[in-house]
Amino acid sequence: MITSKKLSTKILIYSLLIIGVILSIAPFYWMIVGSTHPSGEIFRVPPKLLPGNYLAKNFESLSESLGIAKVFWNSLYIAIVYTVLSTLISAMAGYAFAKYRFKGKNGFFFVILCSLMIPFQVTLIPLFEMMVSFDWLNTYQAIILPSLAAPFSIYLMRQNMQVVPDSIIEASRVDGAGELRIFFTVILPVTRPALAAVAIFQFMSQWNSLLWPLITLNSKDMFTLPVALSSLIGMARIDYGELMLGTTLSTIPIMIFFLLLQKQFISGILGGSVKE
Amino acid sequence: MKKYLSVLLAVFLLVLSACSNKSSDDQAKTGDAKHPAGTITVWGWDVAAATMKAAVENFQKKYPDVKVKVEDFNSGDLYEKLTVGLAARGNGLPDVVLMEDERIPGYIHQFPQGFLNLNKLGYDKYKDSFNPAKVASVQDKDGNFVAAPWDIGPAGVFYRVDYFKKAGVDPNSIQTWDDYIAAGKKIKEATGKKMLPIDIPNYDGVFQMMMQQQGLSYFDQDGKITLQSPEAVRAMKVIKQLHDEDLILNNKGWDGIVTATVNGEVATVPYGVWYTGSIMDQAPDLKGKWDVFFLPSFKEGGTRYANVGGSSLLIPATAKNQSAAYAFVEFFTTDKASQMLGFEKYGLFPSLKDTYNDPKFTANSEYFNNSPVFKKFADIVDKVPQIHLTENFAKASSLMANAQAAILLENKSVESALKDAQKQLENQMR
Repeated sequence: MITSKKLSTKILIYSLLIIGVILSIAPFYWMIVGSTHPSGEIFRVPPKLLPGNYLAKNFESLSESLGIAKVFWNSLYIAIVYTVLSTLISAMAGYAFAKYRFKGKNGFFFVILCSLMIPFQVTLIPLFEMMVSFDWLNTYQAIILPSLAAPFSIYLMRQNMQVVPDSIIEASRVDGAGELRIFFTVILPVTRPALAAVAIFQFMSQWNSLLWPLITLNSKDMFTLPVALSSLIGMARIDYGELMLGTTLSTIPIMIFFLLLQKQFISGILGGSVKE
Repeated sequence: MKKYLSVLLAVFLLVLSACSNKSSDDQAKTGDAKHPAGTITVWGWDVAAATMKAAVENFQKKYPDVKVKVEDFNSGDLYEKLTVGLAARGNGLPDVVLMEDERIPGYIHQFPQGFLNLNKLGYDKYKDSFNPAKVASVQDKDGNFVAAPWDIGPAGVFYRVDYFKKAGVDPNSIQTWDDYIAAGKKIKEATGKKMLPIDIPNYDGVFQMMMQQQGLSYFDQDGKITLQSPEAVRAMKVIKQLHDEDLILNNKGWDGIVTATVNGEVATVPYGVWYTGSIMDQAPDLKGKWDVFFLPSFKEGGTRYANVGGSSLLIPATAKNQSAAYAFVEFFTTDKASQMLGFEKYGLFPSLKDTYNDPKFTANSEYFNNSPVFKKFADIVDKVPQIHLTENFAKASSLMANAQAAILLENKSVESALKDAQKQLENQMR
């Protein structure tokens, strides 16, 4: 009796889960299948659910119209440099706001939080004029530099640094460690989960960012993936097979990146929960 | 410790090295009006950009000292970049930019000093080389060219030859919209297919075509709103009747129209001539099954012509190399060979009248039931009524789509929905 009741709830739970899985995987599957069909086939009713044999052709036309390798490199370079630098800056700023005492500390922090509330549309045009006068249009640094100090990440890091007990820092100082050494060898390792969260967040936002790169980049060989994919959407012609393949390619690195850092995430959470 | 610092340093060096590989020196050189020189940048979108790229070779035969860099975005992205550049006092803009005609009045209104007056550079002399409706759409209130005319989209009704045959309907017998509705009923009975696709809550293109047939846009020649005019009521009533007879396939956006075309869900698609390219592209296996007739008129012998889409070239006022930019614009829009490039390869229909007698223009198309589909359109471009586009075009269009949805989907009466739309438009324009 009990077992059959258990069994039926299990069946219920699992069938709900399976529906959920299908719902979340279906668009993804459709994207991958779509990238193996020619454009016209994608609109067929009933839809073709099995992979076709057009993948190589789609890739050929994609690299012809975009130079996909260079575009991929642009995106990867920008996202990685940006993630490393901005995560470091957020961590340093967060540490300073959490642990140092200096004049105007709260005032500064308040200003940083306020800047979270300014919509990007407001700063877009002045920032663009700045880039023009630096002669930085169509360069990597125009995309990487302006948003290096990310207010939200600084806030997140500060909250996490505050939890670190002052006594650790003091003990390190007593042992004769310099401030940089304390930061890199004591503080950073204990805030790993927060660092991973910030890194994922920064990487995703830069990898998917469209508006600012679109405004500052002009030539095809400098395009990032979102800008390049957007340029595939023509006035009267859209090659959907090409577009699906491009989209598939652009989601792969995010998945890899997330899977890599997921370990950090979980080990960080576990490490915090078990006190010995 | 040292390890971290060195990593940091390496990253910074990488960034710096990326900063230094920039070359913009060759843009500094410019010539004068007689001998243009230097490099110009042109912004365009997909097939139009490709056409301009292809035309550079011919251009350089005449102007060997000018280098042309064509940059390619999707049109929505291009407008975004253009608006930001204009708002930043013309900074960071190219020397030549492509724009859809319906966008021109809006940009001129918002940035009156944003673009060069081409009359001042001598473009006026080409006034008679293009069809009059196109010329009217690229001139400002005082008759100055603000843009150089390029392609147009004379409208027709693309139809499925096999469906018409099966239902026993002769396309030549369709003279008026009433005939069109009657034919639609017959075809639906015989094949079960609907007559035409309209994205009811979002797209009022069919209404626009019907208005232009009657010589109007959302505005008359004096700029007065026409949404309550007898012409508008007449047009909307035809659309309502089509819907009441269940002849409209209500599907989503551009993708919906293409889907309906590929899958043969509709018997006709009223659209601009450039749709030929899309049909051939997306439905290669329907070869020989499509043909075209002109829009039905509202009364026997009435005008059957309208235009959908089209684009033109503008020179931003802050263009660094204006003489070379003008040389390119002048050459490209008035050179028959360049215009034929875009037509042959991509189906961009020129407004340059010289091109219409080209044998490639008058040839029969195998895909379109062996009929001279392009000649059909070329013969009518001069008859397309001139209409008045204004900076409020986009607002009017979205209000009309709302009104269309209210009439067809919420059973509002034609008169009251149009009255509301007129009022809303008046409010928004205030």
